[in-house]
Formats: sequence, C-alpha cells, structure tokens
Amino acid sequence: MTAIAERPTASAAGRPPTSDRREGWRRRGPLMPALIFTIIVTQVPFLLTLFYSFQSWNLLRPGSFHFVGLSNYVAVVKDAEFRNALWITVLTTLGAAIIALVLGTMLALLLERQVLGRGVIRTLLISPFLVMPAAAGLLWKTTMFDPVYGLVNWVLTPFGVHNVDFVGQFPLASVMTVMVWRWTPFMMLIMLAGLQAQPTDVIEAARVDGARPFAIFREVTLPYLRPYMELGLLLGAIYIVGTFDEIYIMTQGGPGTATTNLPYYLYQRTFQGYDIGQAASLGVATVILTFIVASVALRTVFRLFTETEGR
Amino acid sequence: MAAQKRTGAARAGWTALAWLVGIVFFFPVLWMVLTSFKQERDAYTTTPHIVFTPTLDQYKAVFSGGIGTAVANSAIATIFSTLLVLVLAIPAAYALSIRPIKRYRDGLFFFISTKMLPIVAAIVPIFLAVRNLGAMDNIWTMVVLYAAMNLPIAVWMLRSFFLEVPRETLEAARLDGAGVRQELTEVMLPVVAPGVAATALICVIFSWNEFFFALNLTATRAATVPFFLVGFITSEGLYWAQLSAAATLASLPVLLAGWIAQKQLVRGLSMGAIK
Amino acid sequence: MAEITYENATRHFPGGTIPAVDALDLQIAEGEFMVLVGPSGSGKTTALRMLAGLEDIDDGRIMIGGKDVSGVAPRDRDIAMVFQNYALYPNKTVGENIGFALKMHGVERSERDRRVKEAAALLDIEGLLDRKPKQLSGGQRQRVAMGRAIVREPSAFLMDEPLSNLDAKLRVATRAQIAELQRRLGVTTVYVTHDQVEAMTMGDRVALLKDGKLQQCASPQELYDRPANTFIAGFIGSPPMNLLPAGHQDGKLTIGDAHVEVPEAHRSEVGRLDNVTLGVRPEHLRLAEEGMAGTVSLVEELGAEIHLHVRTKPADGEEVDVVLRTDRHARYRLGETVHLDIPSEHILAFHPESTELLFAPQA
Repeated sequence: MTAIAERPTASAAGRPPTSDRREGWRRRGPLMPALIFTIIVTQVPFLLTLFYSFQSWNLLRPGSFHFVGLSNYVAVVKDAEFRNALWITVLTTLGAAIIALVLGTMLALLLERQVLGRGVIRTLLISPFLVMPAAAGLLWKTTMFDPVYGLVNWVLTPFGVHNVDFVGQFPLASVMTVMVWRWTPFMMLIMLAGLQAQPTDVIEAARVDGARPFAIFREVTLPYLRPYMELGLLLGAIYIVGTFDEIYIMTQGGPGTATTNLPYYLYQRTFQGYDIGQAASLGVATVILTFIVASVALRTVFRLFTETEGR
Repeated sequence: MAAQKRTGAARAGWTALAWLVGIVFFFPVLWMVLTSFKQERDAYTTTPHIVFTPTLDQYKAVFSGGIGTAVANSAIATIFSTLLVLVLAIPAAYALSIRPIKRYRDGLFFFISTKMLPIVAAIVPIFLAVRNLGAMDNIWTMVVLYAAMNLPIAVWMLRSFFLEVPRETLEAARLDGAGVRQELTEVMLPVVAPGVAATALICVIFSWNEFFFALNLTATRAATVPFFLVGFITSEGLYWAQLSAAATLASLPVLLAGWIAQKQLVRGLSMGAIK
Repeated sequence: MAEITYENATRHFPGGTIPAVDALDLQIAEGEFMVLVGPSGSGKTTALRMLAGLEDIDDGRIMIGGKDVSGVAPRDRDIAMVFQNYALYPNKTVGENIGFALKMHGVERSERDRRVKEAAALLDIEGLLDRKPKQLSGGQRQRVAMGRAIVREPSAFLMDEPLSNLDAKLRVATRAQIAELQRRLGVTTVYVTHDQVEAMTMGDRVALLKDGKLQQCASPQELYDRPANTFIAGFIGSPPMNLLPAGHQDGKLTIGDAHVEVPEAHRSEVGRLDNVTLGVRPEHLRLAEEGMAGTVSLVEELGAEIHLHVRTKPADGEEVDVVLRTDRHARYRLGETVHLDIPSEHILAFHPESTELLFAPQA
C-alpha cells in the first residue's frame, strides 16, 4: 500500500513560525499554476453561468439583458422538454453503463484465461473505445444501420429482418448500441485489472476446498471484483452522462426529442436558441443534479480509490 | 493423460470464442478501413463486397477536400495542449504526492470534481467569453480548453506514478542535499518517465477525439478533424467510401496511441486508481 | 488417513525442460508427519503442490491411499491445505471460511455449524467466528487457516510453510501446537519448510531436497548423525557441521599441522583415498593445549553457551572458519591463538569429489 511519502510537521518545538509558513508555501507553490489555471478556465465560467442564469438574455435580441431572479429556474422545472431530456439521460446512462459492465466483465473473464494470442485480442477489443466517437457515430449510422445498404440488415436477413431503418425506428436503441460498443472496452479493462490483481492462493484454496469453477467465481471472484465493478460503473456513468458526439451525428436528438439528452438539449438551447439566460439556468440545474449524484458517488469513488489502490 | 486432453480441448474452445468475440467487436473498425480502399460502387451495395479492387482515390479525395488542414489543426491543438498539461500537472502532482501540501486530499478532491461537472455547465460563459475576446475559430483557444479538460486526469495519473517512486530513493537524495527542483528533475523524472509518456498519450487521445468544443467554437480556420467529419453527415450522404477514408484518417493516430499505451489506458481512465 | 507415495514424480519449470522436481521417490506412511525441507528453489513447495493437484505431474505418478491421482482435480483428492499466506476468503467471516469446504461438499447447515464449532474449539478461536480476516492478527489468521483444513477430516494435511509469516516467539509456540494437534488427530501430514529447526523438531521423518532432487529421507536423528552427503551435513544442525579438507595416508588424517586417527572400524571405508572431507560437529570440538592451530575470529555469546569461530589453515592457501560450542564461563580474545582437539571418535568423512558419506560414528 503506497502511503504518502511524508506529512508536513506542524510547528515542531523550536521551529520559528515563519519558516513553517514558508515551507507551506514552498509546498503549495508547484500546485499553484495548475490550480489557478483550472479555476480560471472552469470555476470562473461556472460562476458566470450562475450569474447569467438569473438574467433574461437572448443573443438574438441585443439589449435584452435584465435581471429576472428565479424565473428561468421556474421555467426549467416546468419545461417538459427538460424533463424529457433528463429522463433520456438517465435511461441511456444507466442502460449503457450497466450493459457495458456486464459485457465488459464477461470479456475480461474470457481474456483472463491463457488464451492463445491474448494480447492481440485485447488490442482488438479496446479499439471501439479509441475510435473517434464522431467517426464511430458516422460509421454506425451509415455502413451498419442503413436500411438498404447497411451491414446489420444484411447480417440479420436470414432471421427475417428486411430493410429496417434502425436509426429512424429505434433511435434510442441505435444510439445505445454505439454507446455500449464504445464503453464495453472501458469496463473490460477495469475488470481485467481487477482480475489480474486477484491473489491466486485464495483461488487455489477454493479449489482444494472443493469448489467447482462456477462456485469459485460466485464465492471468491465476484466479491473480490465488487469494488472494481462499482468503480467502473461510477466512473463510466460520469463519462457517459456527457455523451454528445454520437447523438449529434446520428440522430440530432431526434426523431423529435427521442434521443435528446441533457448535453444535447443544452446545446440546442445555447447554439440554436441563443437564449443565454435559459441555457445558463439549464446548465446550473444540470450541475446541481450532477452534484447531488456526484457527491454520493464521489464518496464511494474516493473510498474505492483507496480500496483498490495498493491491491 | 485424460485430464490434459480435456484441458487441451477446453483451451482450444476458449481460444476460439475469444477470437470470435474480438473480431466481432473489431469488425466495424475493420470494415471502415476496408471500405476506405473501395470505389464507391463497391461500398454502397446491398450485399457487402469483400473482394474488390483497392484504390487510393478516396484518400486523395479526402485530402483535396481539406482534411490536411484539419489534421494540422488537430495536431497543433493536441500537441500543445498536452505540453501545457504536462507543464502544469507535473508540479501539481508533485505537490500532492511527494512533498504534499497539508490539505492534499482537498486538492485532489477539487481536481476530480472539475472532471465530474459536465462541460455543459461552463459552455455558455466560455462561448461568450471566447466570442467577446475575438478568440473564436482560433486554434489556441482550443489548446487552452483542451488543457483544462485534461488537467484533472493528468494530475491524478501522474500522482499515482509519483507515489510509486520508492521512498528510500527520495530520502537518500534529500540527505545528499537535493532541493525540490533537483528532486524532481534528477531523481523522479527519470523514474516516472514512462508514466509521463503514458499520461501524455492519454491526453492525446482525449484531445484528438474532442468534438463538442470543436463543433461550437471553431469554423473554417481552426477546424479540427472531428469537425471535418461533420461535413459527411448530410451532404456526402452517398459517399461512404470517402467517409470511411476520412474516418480512418481521423481514428488512426489515436488507435495507434492507444495500442501503444494499452497498459496505461486503465490507469488513465480510472484516473490513477487502478494500476 | 492415507499413505502417500511419490513414484519417480517429475515436474518441469513452465515452458522448459529443466526439472523443478526431479524423479522424486518418497513413501509416507499413514499418520506420519513428513517434513519436506530444503533451501529456496529446492522444489519442496512444488512437490507439495503436485500432491495437492495444483501443479501437473509431467512424469511419474503420485498415489494417495493406493490410488493414482495423476490428473485428478484437487477437490477430489480428499486433501486439505494450509497456505503460506493463509489464503483466507476476505469477504467471508471466520466461521464461513472454516465451513466453506463443507458447504462445497454439500454438508447440511446444522452439521456444518457443529463441525465448525468443534474445529474452532480445538484451535481456541471460538470467539472469532463472526469476524472477518482483516480484523484478525497474523497468529489468529494462521489458526483459521488450520481450522479450515482440520474441519474437513481429510486423508492428508498439506502445509506450505505455515509458520514463516509469524514472529519468532509465536512461531515456537505454534510449532508445538501443530505437532501436538497432528499427534492427536493422527492424520497423515506433509509439511514444507525451509527452517531446519522446524524440520527436526516436528517431523517423524524429514526429506531433504536440493535442486529438485531428494538428498536423503530419514528420521531427524539419523539425518543428524549420518548425513548422506556434505550438503545435508552442512544444512542440518545449527551451527552447521564443520567441514575441513584433510589429507589421508594409512589411516591417518592430516589437517594443517594436526593429525587425527581414522577409527579402526572405518579404515576400509576410506580405503586408498588421498584426500577426504572431514566433518565434525561444533559440540565435539575441544580447545586443548595441542592440536590444530587457529586464531579466534568471532565470539558469539548466546547466554547459555558461546559459539567460538576459529580461523584455521587446514591446507596451504585455504582458510576455513570452524565453529565450536564452548562453556559460557570462558573468556576469549579476538586474534588469540588456540588449539583444537578433533576427537577421533566423533569424526565423519566424506568423499572429496562425490561428497558422499564414507563413514560416521556408530550410534
């Protein structure tokens, strides 16, 4: 277990307080540039977002900037489209994350065995994650899902499937397919790391104790992997919540609002509606929601970080 | 011996399954590369053509279509933002691991929290600020934004590498009179150099693939590769082979980077939590 | 309870042809406590794992209770194992850990609980049944690992250096407990260790391995009194046997400027060799007025006795450090010249090239 190399000593007897403070600043020094940079580029904008959320301001109507208090937020809460976007976000995030986790775990178990060419297979399997998301969306929409010329239709023809417009008829499923395709490697890598860190002697003890392979998996491996699964799910969800590229490329949020998630909805309001006040309040609302979920998640993630560190 | 024969067959079975799964997952990528070498008439077909006469026409078309500038822009944004990230993150990670500040946990918490808040929260004022500063469609804007985007991951990842330096080596250096800067350059950096490389590769992957900022804050001069791909959504509806060529070019650098940094990918993705 | 036989058992290092265990022939009787001992890399752990079924047998075979177990899975061999790092199931309580094997074999809940309690009582860990391994001390974990093994009432116990992670004092106490437990239960036990003290005190018989080959298998006393070669002689006993090169002529051995007679009964075993390796245990050397000369190089005071290290020159150019055990009341100075008396009735001789035993004192 790697511990922090050294903890700063609080004013030890005989140490003049100024030297202590100087040491403190000497230690803080290296952190400052990164800290300041991050604050300027992320926190200040957020504060501004907060500020704008209390204004009414549409870029298309210059001079419309004025204070309206909480009315933007009221509008958000009443906004059916917002609630729809929220629902879509929750659905796609949880759905994609969970499916990717299950698939990823299965793949990790497969790859953990002494299979010939393991390294090559792993390289193949991580590719979906590396391919540019925008490119992936484009490819799946055209070469895979096209009703007439797409591969998926061709592959499913023996099963009686003909010229199905996947993106048009099953937009959510189509988008989620691409999301799962992209994120399964992520889950697989995390689970693989967990499997490889597993102490072999406990497995051997289980073998000697009479457990068959499935019992070993259920009683020993699965409990061991739980923190990794939680970490994968949480971290994955955090990344997946912000999905934008695939939706923009494949469905543009549609048909209608069938695939409009929160990031896309915000994009629409900002860059198509140019309603800054509304968009800002949407942004803040999203942040508040994310923050609530994240602070629960953060505590768990932090605990998991320290639990898996040094395993 | 019966047992060995059994395990031999079982092993072959698992191997076959693993390869099957690997190929299925990889197939869309493979198809993308294959299609990029086809004539359009071979690409836009109801039944897939596996045999065809390859051609470089699509790549030529894509290059004359302007992907060259996009690639250059992406390269600048990626390389410089990564450099900026390293310059900021290395000292920061140092301050959170080797000679930690008193409240290093808070520092870490802060960085990870900025990663958790979706970009959506900041896009409105960033968009406005960039516009008002006249920095729209400017590649250096992207450099700054990408750096901010990758900084938290880099800090966490580098910190996890720094923690692996054996304590005794550092103590020996300190006893020999090394100051902070020497500790960093003479002792640590040589040891964590592979870790720094891995962090850089992860930043490259995320910067190169970034779409949202590129879409909204660039236009013609600073357009990066993802932005270039957008042109294929509507207008080039029937040019699948060309689309595949563009997609292949777009994905190639990161595919290679990811294949090289494979082992470190987990670390980067889990922000250093898992080795 | 079962007898165990290794017949020409061989296991290669993974991916190669170098044997980790080389044609091992060993017979372990029912209820016997057999210790496999040797330095690191001697193959002792591999041999144990082959018995457990955790390593394949590349050549030869292993029999448990008269049945060939090659290719049989560990769970079907009716053996229980105590691992070096205990290998407890971290997510289960102590009670669940101990009862796990019974659960896997389909034993009913009530019967399981009864046997777990029995085993826990035997090891004095009844109060810990609801705790998780991470809440236990090293010694407690070790006992849980033992409990897990004994609850199964198997044909054989396999133990892989179970004491090596305990501190010295605990080790001595636990050693006695394990020996007593085995005597009480009477289960055939194969015990691996690198510590020759453990081997000598616990085993009915001890099998010494080196580089995958069996050197000698005998009772502790036999190993001590009649080691089959110089390696065994130097391994067993602490401090180890002193080994000195000696010239030989007509029943007289010459070491440096001293002479030792070969006992009458053993002259024929030495035969016409010009050189032998002479062996004498530290407790048999005496300081005398005359004898082999040497200088004191180290004085180790152990409280009850003193280990005296003396640098000698048995032959031109060679220097050998000799250890003797002496009275604690004596005083010695570093660099002091002393003379050693090598009593003829206590010497052993080994072949200078093959290192095999030529003769040893009669019991």
